[in-house]
Amino acid sequence: MTDVSISTTPSAPDRAKRVSLISSDARTEKRKSAERRFRMYGIAGIATGIFFLIVLLVSIVSSGTGAFQQTFINASVYLDPSKLDKNGNRAIEDLRKVSTFGYTPLIQQAVFDKLEQNGIETPLQKRGDMKALISASAAAQVRDVVLANPDLIGETVDFRILASSRVDGYLKGRVQREDVARDKNIDAEHLDLVDALVPLGIIEKTFNIDFITGADASESRAEAAGIGVAMIGSFFMMLVVLVLSLPIGVAASIYLEEFAPKNRWTDLIEVNIANLAAVPSIVFGILGLAVFIQFMHLPQSAPLVGGLVLTLMTLPTIIISTRASLKAVPPSIRDAALGVGASKMQSVFHHVLPLAAPGILTGTIIGLAQALGETAPLLLIGMVGFIASNAPDGIASGLLDPNSAMPAQIYEWAKRADPAFYERAWGGIIILLGFLISMNTLAVILRRRFERRW
Amino acid sequence: MPLLWLSAIILALATAGFFLGRARALASVNGSSEKLHSLPSYYGSNALMKSVFPAFGAMLLWMLVQPLFIDNRVAQLIPDSEIDEGSSIGLVMSEVRRTADGITNAINAGFIDDETLTAGQADLSDVTQRLKDAGQVVTNDITQPILNAAQEYRALSETSRSVMTIVVLLVALLGAGWGVIQSGRDFRARNVVEQGILGILIAAASVAILTTIGIIFSLIFNTIEFFSLYPAVEFFTLLEWAPSFSGRGGASSLGILPLLWGTIYISVVALLVAVPVGLFSAIYLSEYASPRVRGIAKPLLEILAGIPTIVYGLFALLTIGPLLVSVFGEDGAGWMGGGRSVMTAGIAMGIMLIPFVSSLSDDIINAVPQSLRDGSYGLGATQSETIKQVVLPAALPGIVGAILLAASRAIGETMIVVLGAGAAARLSLNPFEAMTTVTAKIVSQLTGDSDFASPEALVAFALGITLFVLTLCLNVFALYIVRKYREQYE
Amino acid sequence: MSFTKLSTSALAIAVVTAATAASARDQVQVAGSSTVLPYASIVAEAFGENFEFPTPVVESGGSSAGLKRFCQGVGTEHTDIANASRAIREKEIKACAENGVTDIIEVRIGYDGIVFASQLDGPAYTAFTQSDIFNALAPKVMVDGALVDNPYTKWSDFNADLPDADILAFIPGTKHGTREVFEEKVIAAGCEATGAMEAMIASGMSEDDAEDACLEVRTDGRSVDIDGDYTETLASIDANSNAIGVFGLAFYENNTDKLKVATMAGVEPTTETIAAGEYPVSRPLYFYIKKAHIGVIPGLKEFAEFFVADEIAGPDGPLANYGLVSDPELASTQAVVSDEKVIGGGS
Repeated sequence: MTDVSISTTPSAPDRAKRVSLISSDARTEKRKSAERRFRMYGIAGIATGIFFLIVLLVSIVSSGTGAFQQTFINASVYLDPSKLDKNGNRAIEDLRKVSTFGYTPLIQQAVFDKLEQNGIETPLQKRGDMKALISASAAAQVRDVVLANPDLIGETVDFRILASSRVDGYLKGRVQREDVARDKNIDAEHLDLVDALVPLGIIEKTFNIDFITGADASESRAEAAGIGVAMIGSFFMMLVVLVLSLPIGVAASIYLEEFAPKNRWTDLIEVNIANLAAVPSIVFGILGLAVFIQFMHLPQSAPLVGGLVLTLMTLPTIIISTRASLKAVPPSIRDAALGVGASKMQSVFHHVLPLAAPGILTGTIIGLAQALGETAPLLLIGMVGFIASNAPDGIASGLLDPNSAMPAQIYEWAKRADPAFYERAWGGIIILLGFLISMNTLAVILRRRFERRW
Repeated sequence: MPLLWLSAIILALATAGFFLGRARALASVNGSSEKLHSLPSYYGSNALMKSVFPAFGAMLLWMLVQPLFIDNRVAQLIPDSEIDEGSSIGLVMSEVRRTADGITNAINAGFIDDETLTAGQADLSDVTQRLKDAGQVVTNDITQPILNAAQEYRALSETSRSVMTIVVLLVALLGAGWGVIQSGRDFRARNVVEQGILGILIAAASVAILTTIGIIFSLIFNTIEFFSLYPAVEFFTLLEWAPSFSGRGGASSLGILPLLWGTIYISVVALLVAVPVGLFSAIYLSEYASPRVRGIAKPLLEILAGIPTIVYGLFALLTIGPLLVSVFGEDGAGWMGGGRSVMTAGIAMGIMLIPFVSSLSDDIINAVPQSLRDGSYGLGATQSETIKQVVLPAALPGIVGAILLAASRAIGETMIVVLGAGAAARLSLNPFEAMTTVTAKIVSQLTGDSDFASPEALVAFALGITLFVLTLCLNVFALYIVRKYREQYE
Repeated sequence: MSFTKLSTSALAIAVVTAATAASARDQVQVAGSSTVLPYASIVAEAFGENFEFPTPVVESGGSSAGLKRFCQGVGTEHTDIANASRAIREKEIKACAENGVTDIIEVRIGYDGIVFASQLDGPAYTAFTQSDIFNALAPKVMVDGALVDNPYTKWSDFNADLPDADILAFIPGTKHGTREVFEEKVIAAGCEATGAMEAMIASGMSEDDAEDACLEVRTDGRSVDIDGDYTETLASIDANSNAIGVFGLAFYENNTDKLKVATMAGVEPTTETIAAGEYPVSRPLYFYIKKAHIGVIPGLKEFAEFFVADEIAGPDGPLANYGLVSDPELASTQAVVSDEKVIGGGS
């Protein structure tokens, strides 16, 4: 006892200092700086995350914006009757016999004529030399117009045709002059021509709506490829996912959260759902191939099958988030409902479910966004390749006719040889991200607007 | 009758049952609904339920049993002479089925009529040609026994279809009738309907089980075939993964261990990136950030989870890889040969996992009751001390669960690894070397060019099932931890 | 509440049944090798433009998956054509037959050249021989007449004409058909040329074992397998100035702004040298048609004939333009298609 009193006496001044509320002692300083440090860690954590996000977004946008612009050539094509309609009777059957190979020289001639009219000097003296400037899709474009309107034969018609991907790349800075020496698809002389034609407005680079609405094109025509048809494929898949996974997911969650007795069976279901949420998505592809295509004989490459596979994949996500929002509804709501004579089922469907609806919707949207960006399972059910070339013409054909999906199309483009496809892959990613971010934003807004805190 | 019409009629019957049942219930109490046991619509729903479920159930059952039954009957018609060497009864039966479908379609399209077929000795080559003209797939030229079998098949199918239609409609009618008759003042309709709804809910919850069963079934047969071609012991213990292209004689070494090592190594690197960043973000967001900052930062971080994995893969390959090479490569530390490495893929995957860890941990930290914090502050602890010593321990089981969830995501991730980590299976400790994972190999063996019946292609299924079991164990473990250490605050 | 749920599930059932009922298919379905995919897609596009038939659907996914689905059976739910970067194997033909797919028409569309290329600004890898590649990449090589573990770390270690740069090669992974060609036409050829094979046989190995041993590549990280596509190899080359990579000719020709190609045994790879058989590393590309589907799937035969027509697959056609080495014996291939000659004789 005395020890204590003796030892405290000398430290009396210390003590006085310590209790001062204005100046802080070393230990308080230490605690305060620990506090500040800890806060900084948190800020650093968020900053790192957001930094990565910005780097990702910047690199995506800078690589992909080029895809939204495209180079066109304005040419007046003389539709030579001696080439297109040898019999001279304008019969549609005869016109069909002239393939796109028959139209190519006419278009090359048209571009060649433009050079002469404008007095551009070039060492390229043959009409065939124009081939490097013109997209292979131009012939089909002209042929379609002629078949739709045979009376045009013999006239000179103005067309706005796609320039080849090399010309497009040159105007976008992707193709450099020093590189073309070893490129057998285009020569420096062609680039001189491009330089001469751009000021005249014959070659122009404009916004390219076809990239957003168009169909996929083959490997030799990067300039004609668009993501529109794949977008429709994705839309139909999402439709299937929504129609199936929302009711099934909500029903399963209600059972597990509100009714399930705690026994082995429900335990099994819970472990299953948690496990399915983490099963590699490629395994769902194997499942889809075996069950939906080989066993049930659903058509290959169909958005319906893709949608079914993605439904199975998204269900766990939706169930997990739905259960969380059901859990967030306080027990007092249920008790009150039961108190006025509602059955358990009525209390859930009439009171708990409406209150949990915003959370359920949010979870569903996030699940859909996840499904929208998934590639791996689609690889195995035949949705990767040259597929998105025919736009569907109705709901049934949208569900059953072969189609691709946006991420699968992007994956496919990223693999192709021509670097112009690479730019389109990033452009596709911008569109896909646009969808994903707007879905996420919608989820955030819903959550903000309707979320209730108890 | 097309199934679509049958379904529509069932639904119409059921709807009629709904209104009749409701009306009858109301009539039994002279319109004063408060005297009924349940709300009037429950009586209607009862009738509806009783007609729809048994009817569709019967339809489904019939359609499952019918092919088995008919196949059996028709197969007896086929003489042994029709079964070629190396062929089987199953193959001939599929021929019969195809022919039968072809005839039906051709008749509908008007290319052929029943007369020419039933005339007994129809001109077979003519029939084949007509079927082809009608756009039907027919392989060999049809023989007489097959044509007979096909005709028998069609006849049986048709009879069976009409019987089914009658049975199903009868079931629907009886069900609806039963429901309507039941409707009365003493009938406890609500309880019955709720039992039915509970049934639907249980069925929906069982979809998860069905999916798992489906996954196992779609993997197991090929896995068994693989193990019959390749010894299981070697698959699980061999330290080498070196599939040879099956065009040459050399035997492959298909040991899973190097792949598992790569999987674990890359996942660990990813978690080393994601856990600190995600956890500190979560702590800051839930404890320090103002609602405004939280409202902006949280959705922003969540965008990271929404970016397609293929983008992360390209990012790893084109940005992270060269960056690492410039620091650790030849010109720097000299540890790194190429742009693909465990680190490259690990960092990209880590970035992807940040929101998984942060969002889940954020929710869990938020769920810790405010009273715990207030108690700690009352004792004079600073905010960081409170978090470190009170909040985090309370939230720990949940956070561990979140991290384990992120880990199983990392193990299952494919695209990032395919692009960022390389394809070489290697047992090495150097994180700057290229390695590969189980998922990447599943994709590459399934989409490769090797002979599809060879162990090199079938190994993908064995890998898939191993991975499935692995993630299952991890999840069971996570669930166990969360259950065992969960704090209950209510 | 329950009513909406019922109607949605009824709708789902209806959709599924409608799907099963829809059996008629009006477009040709093709699946298989991703090496053949570019060519098949070019043809499919032109076919869709010039014929009344809808554009065929061409899926990728590898020769293995393509043939597997091709062999699953006859009927509209199965694919009509399988693309392959290798010939179909006996075992696969048998598996096909077990599923009733018996009459298969094999069509060789041309050759694919395989080239060695490196970064444009990297060391001057301009001329290789098979022996160089073997010396650089084999696990065991001949040094002073003895077979030893590969001691070389730089190209100049064994051939003074090659640059003084670290050995690093990105080669196709074991899932690729390209790997087979690389092993047989480059590594094995180098193995014989350097005398390593003889030394192996001399050391007591059986001839078969020696042949297998000749196909191996070193595993110390100087030879890196790429399981993805050529884009991935290109990205790897981009990140490593010292490296060489294995590409398809078509891919190289589309990326001459980043890559420079090396000659093999003194021959520069072009469609002409490959067609003439001078450039040694090439392989045939195939597609397989299910004969039972001809005349049933609209446009199938027309598509196959269009594919091998002179204006498409000939030396001046769009396929050759893209990098396919056109088959000097195209006429006989055309005959195979028009006569519907199946594998194993008969018609």
